[in-house]
This record gives sequence, structure tokens and C-alpha cells, in this order.
Amino acid sequence: MTDHRWLELAAPYALGAMAPAERAGFEAHLAECATCRSDVQSFRDVVGLLGHAAPAAAPPSGVRERILRDARRARPLGTRRRVLPWIAAAAAVVLALAAGYGYWSARVAQTALRTALDSARVRLDSANQLVTAILDSTVGTADLAATGKPPSMRLFWNRARNVIVVAAFELPPAPAGRTYQLWAIKKGQAPVSVGTFNTPPSGRAVITLRMPAGFKPDLSAVTEEPAGGSPQPTQQPFLVGAWQGG
Amino acid sequence: MASEPDRALVERMMGGDERALAEVYDRHGGPAYSLALAIVGERADAEEVVADAFGQVWRTAAQFDPSRGSVAAWLATITRTRALDLLRSRRRRARALERAARADTDGLAAPLGAADAPDRGVQRQDARRLVTRSLAELPEPQRRVIELAYFGGLTQTEIAAELQEPLGTVKTRMRAGMEKLRGSLAGLLAGGEA
Ligand SMILES: [Zn+2]
Repeated sequence: MTDHRWLELAAPYALGAMAPAERAGFEAHLAECATCRSDVQSFRDVVGLLGHAAPAAAPPSGVRERILRDARRARPLGTRRRVLPWIAAAAAVVLALAAGYGYWSARVAQTALRTALDSARVRLDSANQLVTAILDSTVGTADLAATGKPPSMRLFWNRARNVIVVAAFELPPAPAGRTYQLWAIKKGQAPVSVGTFNTPPSGRAVITLRMPAGFKPDLSAVTEEPAGGSPQPTQQPFLVGAWQGG
Repeated sequence: MASEPDRALVERMMGGDERALAEVYDRHGGPAYSLALAIVGERADAEEVVADAFGQVWRTAAQFDPSRGSVAAWLATITRTRALDLLRSRRRRARALERAARADTDGLAAPLGAADAPDRGVQRQDARRLVTRSLAELPEPQRRVIELAYFGGLTQTEIAAELQEPLGTVKTRMRAGMEKLRGSLAGLLAGGEA
């Protein structure tokens, strides 16, 4: 917190104008610094208003009809129930962990968290809810390990919501300019990216990611990739595990 | 009767209510299109962006979080992201730069006085006026780097190369300009629905 050089980075970060290499370092810092997080939020608010500066133009009349026509074909996600107890519980745990050592990079996690907090049904002492949720019959699990030694990860996939909660243990942060990437693999097919994430120096993290819709993998694996992730793995995975149950 | 708040419409969209989507479009489609056009520069592309953006809004209404900002800001973020994606994917960045260079003194944002184009709502008129004025009041070099980042999707490194200025100078200008904007827009930000 002394000599806070990071504060200079909040504005370019909020504008999306930071070079990728720099961004990775800043995001790792953000996970641990409430001052910078609130600074980023205040600049995001500013960025959210800048669109007003665009010269006014009227959209072609057909756009409205096209949007409504498309909407009839695709129902909103999560239409039936806004916040499943499972998401709320997982989000509460993420929040609790984030205060100490948790770190999550996926927007989905933040969204789940925010939605959950919104619901005002969340209690921070919801460990029981999480246990109940993880025992839900729709939840599949996968244990990812190298050879029984650290680091390791346990994945919980709630198929009903298509959400994966990732718990990482003794996984040191990716080197500067690099990130971890989780893959879903169906035998005989190319791996599909589930998302990128990183861990704080403690090596422990709880991350929420989203499984590509309709995809039913046999395995999951983790590789280290350049910041931002890769379309396909660029190296051998260092963690692999098979999906069980659900 | 006061009109239904934006966030209530988003709630209804989560339930699959298409009329709510139509209403959100009627309120925000114009600004979204204007923003998309300012970024991609061509009407057909802007239309594509707006259709995509509202499709995303429809599908992911459940992800809207009122505590993080207004519906308008959420829409602007989605629209801008989609527009910049298109800009990049079609390698039209060069064209945007060209426009930026052409618009050397005018910039990419609306000129002062242009904020009064027909539009819905006094609140939005006020927001447009204040944002346009706040940008216009920035020292030109500061406004320039912010516009290249916001409308052009350029990183600081790319801006430095484009303007042939040292990276440190670009960083300083961007931060100074954004801090001034944060100050001058504080009233709007506190006011919520902008
Ligand atoms: Zn900080």
C-alpha cells in the first residue's frame, strides 16, 4: 500500500487500454487490493458514460424487428429461477475466500456473486448450503492432479446450471504474462476451453467458470498459456482428471 | 404514472418478456446505435453490432447487476465490446485511425452543441450534454488518448505508436484526463440512471 504505483493503472485498465502483459500483473494485484478495485470501479463508471459522447445517429428501422425476431428464437439464460441456491452458496463461499486468499478471474463468477448478493438470500455462513448443493444429484466432480502430488484441483460441475466451481490447491500463480487455462475434453475431439484463471501467491483459489453449452466432456485438464488464453492448448497439460458422476 | 424503471424491464426480460426487450430497445437502441456507429464507422456494421448487443442483453439479462451501474451503462459496455470486436476482426482499425487523424481537432466524440439531437428523455439529454462538454473541456492531448482508447479500442502502446509520443506521456495524459472526467461527471455518477 506504500508508494502505490498500481493506482496509475486503474484508468487504462477500466478503458481496456492496457497492454496484455501489464494487465495480467495488474489483475493479480487487483485480487488483493481493495483500494485499486474501488478505483477501477470508479473509472468503469466513467467509461460507462463515455458512450454518450458518440454523435447521435438514428438506427435503421429494421433493427428493432430483427432484434425481436432473434429474441423469439433464443430464450434468456436462467429464465426459470434467477438464483439457484447452489449458485448463491458457491458465490458466498467465493466471497468469503476472496477476502482472504480467493481469486477468480472469470466474469461469470463475478456475475454469479453479484446476482447472489442481490438476492439478499445469501448468508455468509452458508457452508451447509454448499455441502447440500455439491451433493445435488446433478453435480459431477473431477479431481485433477499430476501424480497424486500438489498442485491439485477439484472441479464441481452443476449440469443444471452449466457452472463449474474450481477449487485449486497449492497452485502457484502463473508467471508474468501467462495464465492457467481449463479445458474440457471429449475423447477423440479437440479440447474446448472452459476459461482462464490465475491464483494468488497463497496458491489457493475458488473460481467459477461456465461449461460450453451442451458439451459433455470425459476429461478436464489444465495448461499454462499466454495471458488471455489460447484457442487450443499450446503445451501438455500439467493437471488432468476424469469427470465422475452426475 | 412514472414510466417503469429500466431495471424493472430487465427483470421482466429475465422472465422471457419480449415486450420488455422492445421497450429497452426503444429507450436505448438509439444511443447504442450511435455508439456502435462512432466505433465501426459504417451503418451496416453498426446495425450488426446493435442486433448482436441486444441479443446478448436478452440472453444474459440475469447477469445485469444494478449495483454496478445503470442499464444504460451496461448496454454501452456490451455495445462497445461488440463494436470493438468487429473492428478488430475486420481489421478496420486502420480506418478508425484514419478517421481519428482526419478528425484531428474535432475528435471522434460529438462536437459541442451536437448534444441536442432528437433523443428520449431529459435525463439523457443532460447526460449527453455533460459528457460531451466534459470531454471537450479536456486539454486536447488528453481527450485524444481517451478517445483513441474508447472509440478506437487501442492500447496505450498502440496509441503511443500512432501519435508518435513516448509511452510515458500517453499514460500520463490518459490518467490525468480520466481523473478530470471522474471529477466532472461525479454528479451524473451519483445520480444513477444515466
Ligand atoms: Zn492497489
